[in-house]
Amino acid sequence: MIRTSIRGIVIATSLLSAPALMAQDFTVNLVNEPSTLDPHQQWNPDSYYVYRNIFDNVVTRDDAGEIVPQIATEWNQVSDTEMVLTIRDDVTFHDGEPLTAEDVAFSVQRITNPDFGSPQLGQFNQITGAEVTGDYEVTLTTDGAYPVLLAQLVKLSVVPKHVVEDVGDEAFNNAPVGSGPYAFEAWNRGVDVTLTRNDDYWGDAGPFETASFVAVPDASTRVANLRAGTADLIVSIDSDIARQLEGQPGVQVLTAPTERVAFMGMNTTRPPLDDPQVRKAAMMAIDREGIVQGILAGGETVVDQMATPSHFGYVEGVEAIAYDPEEAARIVEETGAGETPMQFATSPVFDQRIVQAIQQMLTEAGFNVEISMTDMSTYLQAARAPEQTERPYLSFGRWSCACQDVDGVQFPLLHSSSSWSRVNDAELDGLLEQGRTSLDEDARMAAYTEVQKTVQDNAYILPLYQAVALYGASDKLEWTPTANESLFLNRMSWSE
Amino acid sequence: MSVFLLQRLGQALVAIFGVMTLVFFIQRLTGDPTYLLVPETATQADIEAMRRSLGLDQPLVVQYLNYLWDMLRFDFGTSYVQNVPVTQIIASRLPYTLQLAAGALFVAFVIGLPVGLAMAIWRKHRFTNVLMGIVLGAQSMPTFWSGILMIMVFGVWLGWLPPSGSGSFAHLVMPSIALGLLSMATYARIARSSILDEMSKDYVRSARARGVGTGRLVGKHLIRNSLIPVISISALEISQLLAGAVIVETVFAWPGLGQLTVQSVQSRDFVVVQGIVLLGAFVTISVNLLADILYGVVDPRIRKGGKA
Repeated sequence: MIRTSIRGIVIATSLLSAPALMAQDFTVNLVNEPSTLDPHQQWNPDSYYVYRNIFDNVVTRDDAGEIVPQIATEWNQVSDTEMVLTIRDDVTFHDGEPLTAEDVAFSVQRITNPDFGSPQLGQFNQITGAEVTGDYEVTLTTDGAYPVLLAQLVKLSVVPKHVVEDVGDEAFNNAPVGSGPYAFEAWNRGVDVTLTRNDDYWGDAGPFETASFVAVPDASTRVANLRAGTADLIVSIDSDIARQLEGQPGVQVLTAPTERVAFMGMNTTRPPLDDPQVRKAAMMAIDREGIVQGILAGGETVVDQMATPSHFGYVEGVEAIAYDPEEAARIVEETGAGETPMQFATSPVFDQRIVQAIQQMLTEAGFNVEISMTDMSTYLQAARAPEQTERPYLSFGRWSCACQDVDGVQFPLLHSSSSWSRVNDAELDGLLEQGRTSLDEDARMAAYTEVQKTVQDNAYILPLYQAVALYGASDKLEWTPTANESLFLNRMSWSE
Repeated sequence: MSVFLLQRLGQALVAIFGVMTLVFFIQRLTGDPTYLLVPETATQADIEAMRRSLGLDQPLVVQYLNYLWDMLRFDFGTSYVQNVPVTQIIASRLPYTLQLAAGALFVAFVIGLPVGLAMAIWRKHRFTNVLMGIVLGAQSMPTFWSGILMIMVFGVWLGWLPPSGSGSFAHLVMPSIALGLLSMATYARIARSSILDEMSKDYVRSARARGVGTGRLVGKHLIRNSLIPVISISALEISQLLAGAVIVETVFAWPGLGQLTVQSVQSRDFVVVQGIVLLGAFVTISVNLLADILYGVVDPRIRKGGKA
């Protein structure tokens, strides 16, 4: 009697936890729920993982990283400051209304309107105007020649003007209407967001009828969900967890090199780091291969410039200063650089294993480095202090502009006008400006080749490695994650 | 009576005002959230614009006065990160936390009481010491560890329960146990001592003398009489449960207020944190106020200002 009732409970409960039905419903475990589903508001991975499936962007990147048409089928730079976009004529929003040039122009105006207060404004604020200039034609104006414009439009989602104006920003965020391969179904606050396939999609909508994105803050819990079959894809796992997952039945680890470049930044305006010899010594002290192989071990690769091969402006054949701890120690000894205590500013969001390893290596070379750990906003306040000389002596960071163009990495980190930069070099500023404002790709490449040389000769910044994104997935899933860290459902499929 | 009531009410208001002020300033000590809200590529001008749109460019005193004025009108503000009214966010999370607290309380009761009873009745038995050890062990395990362990065993290996999430009764089982284990030992201890207390009383001895059996004695008299302290401790335990829920909710992806707290603190969503803290303070203060009033009703000495 007791035994049968226990069996009854077991059967009842295991029915409740039955794995998601293959091919029908697809479940993704995020870390947190999306902050917003309005694609013009928050811009963090947990938000765009979801809304990039609900909305189409002006253009997109294919799996090889090339910019290809999405809503815009053609783009013509008609003058230094004007680009004409040709819009698809066969796109409808999920409410059945056609997507028009009006909607594209409205989307650009909305996200660039300072009063709207989009956190993404910084990515689009070089656009000064968007006008409908034909039935399926929009003309964008920039405040100067801006070669990265197209790469920025990869991230600009098109929202329906009529819906946003009708219901208002708040209601639109709660129940977004887009034109993408998946339509918004429900947002169960704090729990999950469900989407259903848009069977009228103009392109390939993908194999899943519905998809849910569930917030699971704890990485171990995400792994348990994957192994139990209640999740098909999980994000944000580290290399330790990835190793645990490898060799488990039914699951696989997917790795994608991202466009994030990790670096050690130095304040070249503060002694002793104002001396190029001392900066070279600091670079020689760092065993980058050791950091990548010994600490990270998740498939990261050492980079020798502030760019990855997936960036426009990546210069072939550049080699950073080689690891040479003896020479580093000799220079430190000779210059007396070890006498000045230097703060290594950091915050818990950065990988502390690397921060500590760098500190250790610098100390072994004779530098006097102390880690100064604060919370993220205090760290940012110091890192972006108004006076360049007040910014931290040393820091570790990982940079991505999500535009796959070196302008987005090198300008903010190296141009003297940027609030992040700890370099003040008029010649370098000129080169970076040339790269930023020329529409000629060859001229840009030439400028960035010179930038590399200058950065190299002066030892301005130490590139460390190209970061990877690790995902856990069901071994039935076929998907090639790309550098842009998006989860495009319509580019995934089941292997059977 | 009414003077006493007014006094207590006044004190409660002062306490709530104090909490409001504290939470406002403590959060501002931890830095400017604007930097966390803008992307890396934002220029200084973009940061300024963002700060203005959040009202963080105003002097602190002005921000504080605005905040108090909003509170007076029961306007709890809009989340910086989600752009949704705080009341709406909290209201959607609160039912989950209440469910979990109820589940945990149930687990604590159902395990804690019989264990306490057994330990009282067979207090000289060797088995009791073993039981005590198990109870202490269960209480001492940190939830972030015992929770993961349960998920691995029941969610992954045995597949009996969904490893995490919400939406069905089965989802509630593991988080309730993980959270309930914390209070379970408290209940066991209180039940044990209160039953021991009762057992030494005259009515028990005379009942035994009349020939009433142990089972009947325990069932009819002892449990009922020893429940009173157990119930009064529950009020305290509820606030404990809400605090413990922060970890349990994170481990089990349970979408309650605990998880929301962690998320909001991490993203410096001041407005949401303020809302949650205020709600917590309001609940605690109301429960205490209610208890004070009830004590006053029961015991006239308290009501009259304790001149004894």
